[in-house]
Amino acid sequence: MKRITFTSVVLALLMFSGCADKEPTIDLTKNVAGSSSIDQMPSVTKSSTDTSAVIAPITTASSVDNSANSANGANGANGANGAAAQGISSIYFDYDKFDIREDMQVSLKTNGNLVKNKTFKLEGNCDEFGSDEYNFALGLKRANSVKSVLIEGGVSADAISMTSLGEGNPVCSEKTQECWAKNRRVDFKLP
Amino acid sequence: MKYWISLLVLMSMLWGESTTLEVSKNVNVLSKLSIVDGSLKGIEHSGKFHKMLVADMKVVSLFDVDEAYAQDSYEIKNHANALFVLRYRLDDDGSGGFKADVKLFQNGLELFSKIYMLKQREMVVFLAHSIAYDINAKMGGAPMEWMKRKVIMVRLNGARKSEIVAADYTLSYQKVLLGGGMYGFAKWANREQTDFYYTSLSDFKPTIYKVNLASGVKEKIISSDGMAVCSDVNENGKKLLLTLAPNGQPDVYMYDLTTKEKTRITNYSGIDVNGQFVGNEMIAFVSNRFGNPNVFGQKINSNAVNQLVFEGKNNSSFSAYRNLIVYKTRGDSGFDLKIASLNGGGSRTLTTSGDNDYPRFSYDGEAVLHIKQEGSRSLVGIIRLDLRRSFAFPLHVGRIQSLDW
Repeated sequence: MKRITFTSVVLALLMFSGCADKEPTIDLTKNVAGSSSIDQMPSVTKSSTDTSAVIAPITTASSVDNSANSANGANGANGANGAAAQGISSIYFDYDKFDIREDMQVSLKTNGNLVKNKTFKLEGNCDEFGSDEYNFALGLKRANSVKSVLIEGGVSADAISMTSLGEGNPVCSEKTQECWAKNRRVDFKLP
Repeated sequence: MKYWISLLVLMSMLWGESTTLEVSKNVNVLSKLSIVDGSLKGIEHSGKFHKMLVADMKVVSLFDVDEAYAQDSYEIKNHANALFVLRYRLDDDGSGGFKADVKLFQNGLELFSKIYMLKQREMVVFLAHSIAYDINAKMGGAPMEWMKRKVIMVRLNGARKSEIVAADYTLSYQKVLLGGGMYGFAKWANREQTDFYYTSLSDFKPTIYKVNLASGVKEKIISSDGMAVCSDVNENGKKLLLTLAPNGQPDVYMYDLTTKEKTRITNYSGIDVNGQFVGNEMIAFVSNRFGNPNVFGQKINSNAVNQLVFEGKNNSSFSAYRNLIVYKTRGDSGFDLKIASLNGGGSRTLTTSGDNDYPRFSYDGEAVLHIKQEGSRSLVGIIRLDLRRSFAFPLHVGRIQSLDW
């Protein structure tokens, strides 16, 4: 019994020995103790020096960003009205891809003809899979793929701006393949 | 010898489990702790506060915590058969906050006594965190400074609607810091958590701002066509790693806040994002240069890129602390988190169930915060690396876009 206690205390001491100021290391083996192997509490002496503490509030001068433009962005219209009303359609992509699909070529060519001589914005969108920054970058690469095709078709590069909204602008929130496919898209935004 | 084997088998059972709130199995070897509410009747939150304190003291991992709610006079030293008794007495401070008297007894001997002043009653969970932190420090437990720190996150509320929210490490307290626009990638600007960065997606171009919490003053840092994200802040808060895409090409840049100069670090025609400092001379980042998202490393003054993770095909999320990285990778039943040393030696799995994402080291590297999805349940998980224990709390936040600690 003494051996168990001795072993446990030694292991506990090893576990509690901090290394904050040293290069951290990890033990990659799996059969190593958890801290709960201790069977004795660390010795503590009574202290009469404990003081009071003030827990500071979280404050912020303004919780509303009044300077922000409308959530639709500076270009105003969302994908369902301005561009769509002019016959411009969204371009859709496969999962984790940013190359233009074969079945999107005609739509993209049509869009190119409709936006010639106009300034507009391409907004890349993603489904809910993928992690924060990577998903945003994927949306941007989709917008950039559309931009490249449009430029090849004669649209001026200076007329195009781009942004990615990641998964933040879904048109569909159901957990289905069809829904996710609708969110993997690039929208055209006209002034 | 058989004692050694028994001990190791028992210990190996402790690691790698992750259920709601508590995973410890051999709590019977720990000393019993009872938590007793000594508040006067009618004090709002005093019963609810008991649950918060129970949860935090379990995370402390030094006691066999009795979950049963107990109420008794604050002046009584013992309770039932518990070796340790933690007593609290909440009182209205008359101005929207709480005054809390707290004492810890061992066999009737007072070990700890402290008075806490909480200015905002709705932040009562931070009071529990502070008490648990102090008790752990008094008992000589492993460092837990992270327990008192604030989490900042972006919460998606719908199409083109998001908020920046401050929270405690369990995400049970939530306060909206910024609303009314579309935001992404909130990040603390310094260790003191007095300021934060975020990306505004409402501007014509994605723009990174810095906001002071106390004054609300907003400062524009930089904008970029396509994408602008503050991915990491160095230890002294003077240099940032950004993802910018001036030509539609997302790459990692370093931005010097003093000189306001930016330096492009990565240069690849695919996706390079999420740069994080690994010491002063190296960064780690996510790239799809081998076809799938994975974690790579590069010295700041070099073009040579090294692959850092050699398993999994979808390692799109990670967190770095000195020479350690925690990354998301697809496992047998979902996405797991693994930890690896950049000095070599393989990896260790930190989670065993559900889909796990958004790993974030605490600033001292002691713990990893993450989000877990188990079926229809969302949880926020905390992994104490040295103790090899994980805990999870129910999450009621909606969809998270980014998380920083």
